[in-house]
Amino acid sequence: MTLRTDSEDAVYLDHAATTPPDPEVVAAMQSVLGPGGSFANPSSIHVAGRRSRALSEHARAAIARMLNVDPVCIVFTSGATESNNLAIIGAARQRAHSGRHLITMRTEHKAVIDTFAALEREGWPVTWLAPEPDGLLATGTLEAALREDTQLVSVMHVNNETGVVQDIAAIGGLCRSRGILFHCDAAQSAGKLPLDLAELPVDLLSLTAHKFHGPQGVGALYLADRPDVHIAPLMHGGGQERRLRPGTLAMHQVTGFGTAATLARERMHEDLTHYRRLNDRLWRGLSNLPGMHRNGNPATAFPGILNVSADDVEGESLLLALEPLCVASGSACNSQTGESSYVLRAMGRDDRLAQSAIRFSFGRATLIDDIDFAIDRYRRAIGHLRAIAPPAAA
Amino acid sequence: MSPAGAYNPRVLAHFATPAHAGDLSQRYPVESKGEARESASGCRVVLVAGSDGRVFREVRFRVFGCPHLVAAAEEWCRHAQGRCVGAKDARPAVAELMASLEVPVEKTGRILVLEDAWQALLKTIDREPNRAGHDQR
Repeated sequence: MTLRTDSEDAVYLDHAATTPPDPEVVAAMQSVLGPGGSFANPSSIHVAGRRSRALSEHARAAIARMLNVDPVCIVFTSGATESNNLAIIGAARQRAHSGRHLITMRTEHKAVIDTFAALEREGWPVTWLAPEPDGLLATGTLEAALREDTQLVSVMHVNNETGVVQDIAAIGGLCRSRGILFHCDAAQSAGKLPLDLAELPVDLLSLTAHKFHGPQGVGALYLADRPDVHIAPLMHGGGQERRLRPGTLAMHQVTGFGTAATLARERMHEDLTHYRRLNDRLWRGLSNLPGMHRNGNPATAFPGILNVSADDVEGESLLLALEPLCVASGSACNSQTGESSYVLRAMGRDDRLAQSAIRFSFGRATLIDDIDFAIDRYRRAIGHLRAIAPPAAA
Repeated sequence: MSPAGAYNPRVLAHFATPAHAGDLSQRYPVESKGEARESASGCRVVLVAGSDGRVFREVRFRVFGCPHLVAAAEEWCRHAQGRCVGAKDARPAVAELMASLEVPVEKTGRILVLEDAWQALLKTIDREPNRAGHDQR
């Protein structure tokens, strides 16, 4: 899709960061915010409040249908970061009496890594699992890390940088057989890949609307409707959302979230076919350049993301040379840390390949023309940077 | 902020069209070469200069690094070209260079790689005259 910027048209291939809201989502949100909209507090018992309540429950039901669960299992939050915090800290605190050991992966999103790191600083023992070179967690690795006092395992479904899809059925099954809670950060997969939580052994699952053409600022935490799945709240102040997330619901955001979930459910198969076509075309257009590397196993990766690295190219310069292509870099050279992608390094990529990584991610409105533009830009950028670089052995 | 928004116009211009990138365009009586790298960022700089023994007639660079370093190398070569060999002002002042390109202070180490490469180049002038970058690539 093409975006107007100050200077020129930009091509947006950064849908793993956020997606543009679907026009139907925008319309639904406007209907709530506009004259005669449902502004009332859904906790109020008067007629306007009841109307809002019906709308919010309609949205909750749409999200529940997308996940094939009961609506009572859905707790609205501000997004996946909050959901991750609530799930991880809430579960750790709730179950602290019977054990404190926690397990996660080194390739998780910062919203999970930093949450576990915070608990670790407070004295919770945390095991940080490394993936195989293809990004997948070997179930044997997890099994070896489990302890008598392990209370929670958190593994993301789709990696936000590489698109690697973890086998959450196997991971969750192993956890359930040991009576350990399993949390899954599904920010990159909910609304994009089929998630049947009636079948999958997942106890807690984080999702967010803006990754699948819903609005920013709203997400949800799924809690399995089982007696042993309890978490402690992080915030206090009211009885909303099963006393786990107090505060007045943002009606327009919740409504947009529900609409996005309905659309995602209806269009998922079509969307996935579209992403596969785009992914294949892009990789075909790049793979014949010398020194190209695909990060993550394409056989098991989510097709909405393609992550590539190139020999002898500096990441920050590559990102600039790709303008006006909107993509994400494996380099954090603009930040003060100067670190390359910790995800790729955990997968065994060396620093030079990790820092040159570029993540292309596709959306519903991405066109074949966008992919062809990206191929052309990338090839030109690589040519430009290699032309001014010293010989590799210098 | 978009990537382009993180750089000032001179950096963007030099990055897009680094006129002094590459190898010397002809042979010179005295050719010299210096290279340096920074392990933290992985950046590398190669400078080559051709002179008649008195004046730097042509100065070129090759860089593996961020846009600020590419732009700084371009400015360095522009500055040095035409200056007297051995003159103190043959090299630009790093602080002024960084200020003019609005280089973030955390990138100081990378820009100093240019200084290291220049010093290495100067050392080769006496030691290895008539050798430089024609056959680099």
